Amino acid sequence: MLTQKDAKNLIDKVIGFSKLPQCEVNVTWTEDAFIRFANNGITTSGYRITQQISISSVTDDKRQGNAVVTELIDDALQHGVQQAEDLAKISKPNPEDMPALGPQKYLTLANFDAYTAAARGDAMIPHVKAIIESAKSGELTAAGFIQRSSNAIAVGNKANLFGYHTYTDCSLTNTMRTAGGASSGWASQTSVSLKDINGEAVGKISAEKAKRGAVTKKKLDPGKYTIILEPAGVSDLVGLLAGNFGARSAEQGQSFLSKQGGGTHLGEKMFPDYITLRSDPLDTKLATAPWGPSLLPNQRLPWIDKGVVKNLYYDRFWASKANKEPTPAPGNIVLDGQGHTLDDLIASVDRGLLVTRLWYIRTLQPQTLQLTGLTRDGVFLVEKGKITDPVTNFRWNESPVRVLQNTRMLSRASRAQGSETGSAIVPAIVADDFNFASISDAV
Amino acid sequence: MQNHLSRRTFLGMSASLLVADRLFGQPAANSRKPNPDLERLGAVAVAEAKKAGATYADIRINRYRQQFSGYRLAPQRGSNKTDEVPFVTDQASFGFGVRVIANGQWGFAASPLVTASEIARITREAVVVAKANAALQASPVQLAPTKKYVDRWTSAYQKDPFGISVDEKLELIHGAAVTLKKDPKIMVAFGFLAFRAEDKYFASSEGSSIQQYIVQVFPSLQATAVDIQKNISRSRSYQVPPSTAGWEAIAKANLGENAPRVRDEALEHLAAPPVTPGKKDLVLLPSHLWLTIHESLGHSTELDRALGFEANFAGTSFMTTEKMGKFKVGSDLINVFGDRTNEGGLATVKYDDDGVLTTKFPIVEKGVFKHYQTIRDQAHLIDEKESRGCCYADSWSSVPFQRMPNVWLEAGPREINPDSLISGVDDGILIDGDGSFSIDQQRYNFQFGGDAFWQIKGGKKAGMVSRVAYQSKTSDFWNSCDGIAGPAYWQQFGSFFDGKGEPEQINAVSHGCSPARFRQVNVLLTD
Repeated sequence: MLTQKDAKNLIDKVIGFSKLPQCEVNVTWTEDAFIRFANNGITTSGYRITQQISISSVTDDKRQGNAVVTELIDDALQHGVQQAEDLAKISKPNPEDMPALGPQKYLTLANFDAYTAAARGDAMIPHVKAIIESAKSGELTAAGFIQRSSNAIAVGNKANLFGYHTYTDCSLTNTMRTAGGASSGWASQTSVSLKDINGEAVGKISAEKAKRGAVTKKKLDPGKYTIILEPAGVSDLVGLLAGNFGARSAEQGQSFLSKQGGGTHLGEKMFPDYITLRSDPLDTKLATAPWGPSLLPNQRLPWIDKGVVKNLYYDRFWASKANKEPTPAPGNIVLDGQGHTLDDLIASVDRGLLVTRLWYIRTLQPQTLQLTGLTRDGVFLVEKGKITDPVTNFRWNESPVRVLQNTRMLSRASRAQGSETGSAIVPAIVADDFNFASISDAV
Repeated sequence: MQNHLSRRTFLGMSASLLVADRLFGQPAANSRKPNPDLERLGAVAVAEAKKAGATYADIRINRYRQQFSGYRLAPQRGSNKTDEVPFVTDQASFGFGVRVIANGQWGFAASPLVTASEIARITREAVVVAKANAALQASPVQLAPTKKYVDRWTSAYQKDPFGISVDEKLELIHGAAVTLKKDPKIMVAFGFLAFRAEDKYFASSEGSSIQQYIVQVFPSLQATAVDIQKNISRSRSYQVPPSTAGWEAIAKANLGENAPRVRDEALEHLAAPPVTPGKKDLVLLPSHLWLTIHESLGHSTELDRALGFEANFAGTSFMTTEKMGKFKVGSDLINVFGDRTNEGGLATVKYDDDGVLTTKFPIVEKGVFKHYQTIRDQAHLIDEKESRGCCYADSWSSVPFQRMPNVWLEAGPREINPDSLISGVDDGILIDGDGSFSIDQQRYNFQFGGDAFWQIKGGKKAGMVSRVAYQSKTSDFWNSCDGIAGPAYWQQFGSFFDGKGEPEQINAVSHGCSPARFRQVNVLLTD
């Protein structure tokens, strides 16, 4: 582990090599271990250490150069600084460069778990074993991935800013397929601590989904359906939505928050009362780093508050032009839930589709935020509040803005892992009029 | 043309004592032998693995360099005045990864500290990993045989892009971006030049010792036009093929000369009427079709997907093993090759990360699926005797596994040209450049956008339309192909960012083709 003392010494050394007025150093250090399995056996696995030192230098007249090195010997660090400074001198002045931030008061976040940081094969293999045994007993084929990481990050600059943070993280994902590949189920768990991971529980959910889908699937017509979207899918949609709160693109006509004729939807009620989307670095389920790319301290911040667009992301430069306080970029994402369970959500739907997760999501129109993607690993027809038949997968073309506008019920929020955007703290939702564009034969 | 003489320029610091530079320094004139220091370090891993009980071991000691420079031009807040924001970054990464087989199971470990003692320690870690996991193996790893190679190879380039001053690079991209931004309706003009170099050393317990150096370039220009009154935003890019080449590829791209066209087409795109959806014929240019080839034929013919090894992430494949040699995935015109030997391809290299000499092989012949992409530990699974050389890891810290070679579509007859393809279309769309792309986890159902779309009416190219995407199923789409232009129009495009595997890795891969025509494809109107 890169300790705080090591990190401070390293950053001081790099800054000591610097001759230009500004120098910022970002350090990341990661030790991870992982096991990958498929066809009911372990396939690849590994243990590794990676590190990176990013150096950014700025001249008096705002010319900026950046270098990244991975060697920690003095020669390499000195060379990195020299390279960043040479690039800065060659580059042109950046009219949007902001003065270096001085010392900041960063939040102390508790998301490091010593057990997880030290975990190796003996701590991870039992989870894999439980899943593979469950697959074999159910005549299923298991594939999956378990990983844990121990991380240290540090930042410092010539204006005496310094920050250091350590965290651990882990995840387990599992796909179960029936013999012949006619049905597939998926489940995952992700947490700061490997103690929260339970391979048997994950395997049970994915096996149930696979078995439930094993009978002949209904081929429903594409069209608009009420969906009960499980948290993994919601995590993807709100993760992609949260990346689009930039003030500049909204003001300059390139975002769903741009208004016809100019201006933005900031302050407007675009969503139902029960939609609140926010960042909360202190949420222990998914604590974020104490700082973001601007080095401003991450803080609790609502993006949508009770349906109202409450904040846009103002970077330091744009905030200075707009006479606003700068906002940190969304570090983590929380969509507040309601007190319901997934079963409550299913019970509330007269006719709709229960969707396990979404896949291969890409932007169709950046401005409207219309996305395309597919369903995967379990779609089920819900009739009169009960799951009835498995249904073939669909391609969908839909916007997360419309989905949240059409949401009418939410479960309790939990940490969930999407297929495109990492994890977020989100509920399952019931949303009307979700646009399925065509059938996908994929399983 | 190979160019060893520019290595000193590439290093940019001739007196350096850096470990990476010492190991990957300039070879003796035209030497085909790997650096002896690298060979000594490689031998440490091989010996230590054997001592720890491994039956196979390989080590990759790699150094990567990437340089990005460019400009973003956008208006100041509440004003028409433009801010010109430059950026310049040079990234390096250096370390090693050791892969072993012990008790019939793979193990892997990696570290950024390239010393003999750390290599020995990490090798032991890799053996520990392999032995621990052996209890849960489905079947022992079997490697297809490969010859032993001792060689040093450099990718073809004429002018080292890292030897060109950043000043010159910024000036070039600035000039093009300023041209893009000249019209006030162009809200953002963005351009960059990216360069990548990979120094890689491979040594195995079977006696191979291979050092390779690969240089790649990627320029890009994009204009985003906005109509605030109508609340519409559209973009247009100049998509220059990324390639394994030197600075000469940048010069050939004529960024400055193309910038006015890109600007005008961004404005035309902004004003273009929405497409009328329905079944239409498509004429797809290589700048667009490469991605359709990649997603539908490239990924579906990866053996690891077909056999379920990617089931938890990237997915499986509809192209299952019983279809080999039989399944008609496309019309008789469709001939597709897997190829890591073709000039300029992003996946082109002399030896893969299994130490196998790379090759060219048929994937689809006259529309029939023929062969999968394979590596050493897969060949026996489909009763093949040797690997097709498709092993790659995106970093020294990544586990090598099966990745896509360059997958390209053979050109049609000499006499077919883009105009003759268009002249056979009554109601259709001509698509240039890639846009949105998405395909299911078994590679059946796909939907693609594009960068620019022109209506084809009565056999003639007409004005631009907007909000186009098309949706099809892989075999329906390729069976609907009834025309491919000749070799004179064959072009290679590609991506550096093809994702697969857990932990996820990227892969750089190219796909060549000529313009081609597809009948009665479902065209959608997007938002």
